Amino acid sequence: MTALLTASNLVKEFPVRGGMLGEKRLLTAVAGIDLELHPGETLGLAGESGCGKSTVARLLTGLIPASQGEIRYAGSELSGMDREQTALFRKDVQMIFQDPFSSLNPRMRVSEIIAEPLAIHRIGTPGERRERVAALMERVGLSAQQLSRFPHEFSGGQRQRIGIARALAVSPRLIIADEPVSALDLSIQAQIINLLQEVKRELGLSFLFITHDLSVLRHLSDRVAIMYLGRIVETGSREQALDAPLHPYTEALLSAIPSIDPEKRKRRVIAKGELPSPLSPPTGCPFHPRCPYAREICAKERPELSEKEPGHSAACHFSAEIYRNDASHRSP
Amino acid sequence: MSSLMEIKGLSTEFPLADGVLKAVRGVDLSLETGETLALVGESGCGKSITAASIMRLVPPPGRIVSGSILFKGQDLLGLSSEEMRQIRGNRIGMIFQDPMTSLNPVYTIGNQVAEGLRIHRGLSAAQAEDEAVAILEQVGIPAPRERLRDYPHLLSGGMRQRVMIAMALSCRPELVIADEPTTALDVTIQAQILELLDRLKTENRMGLILITHNLGIVAERAHRTAIMYAGQIVEQAPTAELFANPLHPYTRGLLASLPEFAKPGERLATIAGGVPDLKGELAGCPFRARCPIGDQGCESGHIEMHEAAAGHLVRCLKAQ
Repeated sequence: MTALLTASNLVKEFPVRGGMLGEKRLLTAVAGIDLELHPGETLGLAGESGCGKSTVARLLTGLIPASQGEIRYAGSELSGMDREQTALFRKDVQMIFQDPFSSLNPRMRVSEIIAEPLAIHRIGTPGERRERVAALMERVGLSAQQLSRFPHEFSGGQRQRIGIARALAVSPRLIIADEPVSALDLSIQAQIINLLQEVKRELGLSFLFITHDLSVLRHLSDRVAIMYLGRIVETGSREQALDAPLHPYTEALLSAIPSIDPEKRKRRVIAKGELPSPLSPPTGCPFHPRCPYAREICAKERPELSEKEPGHSAACHFSAEIYRNDASHRSP
Repeated sequence: MSSLMEIKGLSTEFPLADGVLKAVRGVDLSLETGETLALVGESGCGKSITAASIMRLVPPPGRIVSGSILFKGQDLLGLSSEEMRQIRGNRIGMIFQDPMTSLNPVYTIGNQVAEGLRIHRGLSAAQAEDEAVAILEQVGIPAPRERLRDYPHLLSGGMRQRVMIAMALSCRPELVIADEPTTALDVTIQAQILELLDRLKTENRMGLILITHNLGIVAERAHRTAIMYAGQIVEQAPTAELFANPLHPYTRGLLASLPEFAKPGERLATIAGGVPDLKGELAGCPFRARCPIGDQGCESGHIEMHEAAAGHLVRCLKAQ
């Protein structure tokens, strides 16, 4: 099956001013990643703050240009696209944002917010757009009666529904959702997760789902990629990466989640210390200063992301040990 | 033995232009020395206002309208502002969610940690500085003496939260109230901070009121748990009992909605609708409109808390 979207060796650097003298330095937010997204698939991208996952989202939607590497959509390279191809790409790839309070224009009525992408892409007559907007409103669980209201008249969960309706308006093929449920209360979070799953199935959409919450990641993803300091450190199917991780960072993330199920409260692997600054990443493996398995080689040589079993890759010198370790405390 | 803290009938209101917002509606809670009590609920349920009421720091125009808060037998609501200042930050410490907004950006770390020591423990500037170094070390801040001269913005979120904990614990309080202490932090840092809080609590034999919306944290850290909805405690039990045998339909709904309990991709259980408007009186059960088991009997009168099993209290007519 051909991929819908691929990114290869993607790099993004930001110039920043730092230090006492305000000298210019480069912050490498994304340090060379490869991604592939297939039609109908949900890829979950997870990591902690500052790991570069939101920058990846902005690169893949073409909101910011990459410093290096290439992004291909349906076979064509993003920067080499002509006007027509660019317009199609911008229609096909839509985004849903984290904060339903700041991502909707407070001065626009809901009807205008949802219709805006239709107008931009010149889809339908005004009458057809009105019908489409009303249908989208109902589809996301709101009432067409509420179309003339402003965003502030809605709760957080309702606003996220409006954001989803807007993303669906132009019949996209791929949705990039950056922490779409993180700002929501528990009971509302479940409603929005269900809605995302429903529209994905109905419309056969591909999803790139970005989150820091691994239980949400497990629930929604077919495949997952774990990021740390601008790199993907582990990728595989949901079961491979989350049930039998091969990278110590994935293992630490999983074991740090407080769980209700006493069975799941296994031996805790606490990552030591703090996230290093991306301005001065550690030598060798970027995770080595926090890693319980680190040895001499880890400070010297950065392990490449390599396939350890079919479809399951990790960037670690000692994956084999983690696997053994994990198996020993999971066996019944 | 009397409790460390005993709250009875606490009600806090906010008079607004379009009515009185009754944020806390008759809360009863108790806490023993060395115990961790979790107060759980979604945004707007009144959990943070309950905490602010205990500290007598309700933001205006809010006011406490009734109830009592006995701290080692002494009613905090009967104290003068000056007497309350002697307790706040000294015998009761507080940790807030966002250390960036609760630390003062224009004072150094050393200044802020030492302030309480000088005011409440009467230490000299030099003694307070040494003590501040010791406390910062205790909460795991590397090179603490150098950090004294840093300003909060120079520290990471996790380090700032450690400073907050150091400040809250500097006067060896008997009770600490932590309002979403790890919500702003990454999960690996969250695990470190929760471990730290647990260790310090045990070492100093404090009581801890942990306010959170994260049920996983509750399950792992709290001895007892109280679930709050629309300004009331709707269920309270020893934590293991609560998770094994939730009785209130709201508690059941919250637990069922967790992705952790669903098969991947499966539809999650949801609670229909949203929270009621907290302005004015609510007749009957405030959860009635969203409840899968309620009936007409739930629509009027005041629903009392009853003891369904030993130590397991629930405010529901249908829960047995």
